[in-house]
Amino acid sequence: MENETREKFIIPIGPQHPALKEPGHFEFSVDGETVTGATVRLGYVHRGIEKAAEERNWVQDLYLLERICGICSHAHALAYSLGVEKLAGVTAPPRAQAIRQLVAELERVHSHLLWLGVSAHEAGFDTLFMFSWRDRETIMDVLEGLTGNRVNYSVNVLGGVKADIDDARADAIRRGIDFLEERTQHYLKIATSDETFLRRTRGVGYTSREQAEELGLVGPTARAANVARDVRVDVPYAAYTDFPVQMTLDTRGDLEARFVVRIRELFESYRVVRQILDRLPAGELTARMPRRIKEGETVSRIEAPRGELFYFIKSNGSDKPERIKVRTPSICNFAVVTGTAKGHQLADMPMILAGMDPCFSCNDR
Amino acid sequence: MSTEATLQTAQALLAPWTKGARAPEPDRLDVLIDAADLTAAVQTLHDARWGYLAAITALDYLGKTASFAQDARWQALMASGRVPADGAPLEALYFFAAGRAIVTLRMLLPREGAAIASICGILPSASFFERELSEMFGITVTETPDPNHLFLPENWPAGVHPLRKDFAPGRQ
Repeated sequence: MENETREKFIIPIGPQHPALKEPGHFEFSVDGETVTGATVRLGYVHRGIEKAAEERNWVQDLYLLERICGICSHAHALAYSLGVEKLAGVTAPPRAQAIRQLVAELERVHSHLLWLGVSAHEAGFDTLFMFSWRDRETIMDVLEGLTGNRVNYSVNVLGGVKADIDDARADAIRRGIDFLEERTQHYLKIATSDETFLRRTRGVGYTSREQAEELGLVGPTARAANVARDVRVDVPYAAYTDFPVQMTLDTRGDLEARFVVRIRELFESYRVVRQILDRLPAGELTARMPRRIKEGETVSRIEAPRGELFYFIKSNGSDKPERIKVRTPSICNFAVVTGTAKGHQLADMPMILAGMDPCFSCNDR
Repeated sequence: MSTEATLQTAQALLAPWTKGARAPEPDRLDVLIDAADLTAAVQTLHDARWGYLAAITALDYLGKTASFAQDARWQALMASGRVPADGAPLEALYFFAAGRAIVTLRMLLPREGAAIASICGILPSASFFERELSEMFGITVTETPDPNHLFLPENWPAGVHPLRKDFAPGRQ
């Protein structure tokens, strides 16, 4: 009898579709319904992109790295472009930087709405899932109109951007944003007042500020626990110095706070998108880039929708990089699952996983 | 605090273990240390609440040994007898960020039997990074709480490390 109670019961979840439509493998050890430990295995669709980048030239790598993730493709292309430009000593023109920021914020809107749908689905609230994904189509249309693509917008080139914005395009973006802002008010109301929904989020997956820092959380997941860290504010890049954003924080640290922080960030994105459209600097879209990048190392950080995206780029002076390290936000945030699982009900695990906005293609780069 | 002051604080904190320092960019500081001093250096940064661990990675200098001719750390490794005469080093990089400032702890390791101590006892968040480092570069992280593969399959051949320069994709 004594031996029986000491043995762990392990529930494997995944690798096929562990709550989400992407592969990852989790093993939860449980005592009854209560989780006592968790481990993660990733890499089921690892593509070896960091290695492949060493065998392609600087321009080809832009397109390769953009394909690390279909949700935050612009974040990768932007972090890479800014890093390579820094190594080459080139600065993209102000209009290009403003358009980069504009697309980055539009991408954040699409990413947060996508996440809202996924987490609503995990909570069993499929109506909210369908509404938020229907509304997300607005932003997908805006992005397609602006760049020609729904995903992998390919708006960056080394030294600038290739998409421009005229008055008609600006009006189309404003109309989309106006519609979404009204919808987002509604979502904020649901996330903070729907009784059934709150029972899945309030007090679930709690991390204190100290714990969030210890686990190394980033992005909205950390800001929901009052960790004041946002690369857009701390180390402004692209045009964030001219069009600053406010950091969105919450002190509660539970799933509800993660919903509130992400939804509030949407309002901030709408505001800054309008501001950029109203005050878009005139001028060139690209600066001239050399084919070979001079020897050196640089770090390029940006705030992707899921948190800090970290690029370390080393050039050996040739037309190919020596090494590109990509540290994505999701790999940091997975610690919220392994770190806070203990003591929760097994049924809360999908919500805690969805609540950190996991991106498996981020990890399996 | 200004970025310069933040970097100066880190430089002072890390002084006991510093074998060399350089500023590759205005907001960055590279601190060269011995691999044996890693945990002590990280503990010091942690105790002073200096920034957060941003990333861990490594570089492979296969075929580029000449650039280390003047490097005291490399000479010490050669003298230890752990490196063959034609060997090339690996370099482990630990990035810490505080606002705009980035400090990189850099350690040279021999390609054969590269090992480094785990910092998970100080920063539990390093676990995933250490798993990735060990499977991709073949650097053993001693006493890391979970030494299992993170990305590579279970049946991946032992001793093959994809991010080393001698790994040729598709030809293994």
